[in-house]
Amino acid sequence: MTPQIEFSGVNKYYGAYHALKNVELSIKKGSFTALVGPSGCGKSTLLRSLAGLESISSGTLKIAGDVMNKVPPRKRDVAMVFQSYALYPHMTVEQNLTYSLRIRGTPKAEAKKAAEEVAATTGLSHLLGRYPRELSGGQRQRVAMSRAIIRHPKAFLFDEPLSNLDAALRVHMRKEIRALHDRLGATSVYVTHDQIEAMTMADHVVVMRAGVIEQQGKPLDLYDRPVNKFVAGFIGSPAMNFLPAIGSDDGRSLVVDVGAPQSIPISINVEPGRKVIAGIRPEHISVVAADSGLMRVPVAVVESTGSMSYITTATKPELAIVETGRTDVSGGDLIGLSFAPQSVHVFDAETEERIG
Amino acid sequence: MKRILSSITDGRGFDIALVALPLAFLLLLSGLPLLYNVLMSFQEVDMFSLGTLWRPFVGFENYRELFEQPETLPILGNTAIFVTASIAGQFLIGFGLALFFWTNFPGASWLRGLFLVSWVMPGLVVGAIWNWILSGDFGVLNFLLRESGLISGNIFWRSDPNYSLWAVVMANVWLGTSFNMILLSVGLSAIPGDLYEAAELDGANAWQRFWTITLPMMRSSIGALIALGLIFTLQQFDLFAAITSGGPNNSSNVTQYWAWDMSFRQYDFAKGATISVIMIVFVMLASIVYVRSTRHEVRG
Repeated sequence: MTPQIEFSGVNKYYGAYHALKNVELSIKKGSFTALVGPSGCGKSTLLRSLAGLESISSGTLKIAGDVMNKVPPRKRDVAMVFQSYALYPHMTVEQNLTYSLRIRGTPKAEAKKAAEEVAATTGLSHLLGRYPRELSGGQRQRVAMSRAIIRHPKAFLFDEPLSNLDAALRVHMRKEIRALHDRLGATSVYVTHDQIEAMTMADHVVVMRAGVIEQQGKPLDLYDRPVNKFVAGFIGSPAMNFLPAIGSDDGRSLVVDVGAPQSIPISINVEPGRKVIAGIRPEHISVVAADSGLMRVPVAVVESTGSMSYITTATKPELAIVETGRTDVSGGDLIGLSFAPQSVHVFDAETEERIG
Repeated sequence: MKRILSSITDGRGFDIALVALPLAFLLLLSGLPLLYNVLMSFQEVDMFSLGTLWRPFVGFENYRELFEQPETLPILGNTAIFVTASIAGQFLIGFGLALFFWTNFPGASWLRGLFLVSWVMPGLVVGAIWNWILSGDFGVLNFLLRESGLISGNIFWRSDPNYSLWAVVMANVWLGTSFNMILLSVGLSAIPGDLYEAAELDGANAWQRFWTITLPMMRSSIGALIALGLIFTLQQFDLFAAITSGGPNNSSNVTQYWAWDMSFRQYDFAKGATISVIMIVFVMLASIVYVRSTRHEVRG
């Protein structure tokens, strides 16, 4: 089956600035793809290139099998939900929804019916006569989505649509967007800087940095096997701990230096003396008595939310540990740390690429 | 006493003092002359009663006499033509230029600023320049029209009754275009760019975007501008004084110039005041439109 959206060898320059570097990305029909990365990584540029709001400098972009490089946005048949929503302020909700239909000359009665149908599914029926300025943030968000839905486009593009909402509403809308996607069987591309949004909503996550796709795949694959230190640090919250380490003589363990050299076992082979970085996720470390465990460290701070306890060690570099439930550890204590050898990710110290 | 004093230095008294000062200024220098003007239009005024306030009251006699004069209707007609043509010209060229500079080519803002020079120039200077341009024998305009084959003989713009009013209209359009352009540029730049992106993705071409996004979003700007244009055009006096003096034979005369001519050249102050009162009515209507359109600003 041909992919719904396909970038091959796509480059984008702004003058001398290389914004997208040889992007290869193929998006299946009906999938939910998240583009995630720190600001300035090129994720929005990639989305805007897909919409046609930016032109690509080289490479090919195909939507539903057709080359789109030179096709203007209005002929690409994609719908976009903007970060600012970009609702037409001089039109009522109904007029906002039917704008694209009216532009195409759809008969009035038909457009009105379509607007009512979409509004019913997104809970906007009672707001059709209002102007955008009379709506709350969440309602505007819904209008922006309904305006996209009414068109039955080839793809839905979301440009950080939840960043203007408060935390509680954001969690709610996350589920709503995903549910909507499943119900419509739509193809969605979702840009966000929030890796939790990406992990929870998408079935294909694309991590970008400085115009390059660092890794793409299923959310949990990215979590389990990050290809480099950047992805490892970006996916997961709180972020992975990184410790400078050296391969020990037996090849099956590492010597890490957190104040004093300590040896930790790993599940792969590392040449003796090789400089590496050991990565361990905070949630994979468990606290044990000071005289047992693989490492022994002093505690700096303990933060408790009731359901979770966040422990920070007084080592250099400091380590973060997440314990489920409550802990009797407090600042100044000496504790032992234990973890499975399989949960240690090893990266080359120079290239920061994954080893093993 | 102390309370009053402290209220004046810090409190409601201070606010009232701030408002009262310009209000008193306005009443004294605009309000009173305005009322005096209205009063005068209902009185019999001659050179000997100029210095008194209470002169013989004649009711609507001045108005009746004015409308019996043969030149009144043509002059009112001229004013209507002058106002409509000037506003239409200023607005359309101004909007065109605003849209042109909106494309933001290199040097656009610099060039746009230069356009304001025309608006800064005094009307009499503009009039003098246009006198040269319009000159029948050696004017540049005639030269251009002749060379491009549009006319065969010279047009005497200022002395031909068929063209004299249009001579002033041209100069006035030139004078007011830059002001229109600047106000419309401000209006255009206030429209968020993502609306156009959204419309583009919704399938609208450039023409449809102009009609469905730009124009409706500019509604309040345009309303305010046309109302202001009406007021400015009805105030335009210098150009008439400099270019045609209302002639020949009133063919380019308009109410604002005529009112001055009545009062200060023919010393018929009552008629002059009467013409002014008629103008006040129109300016008032324009002001209402202006206030209403700025109140209904659509933003966000």
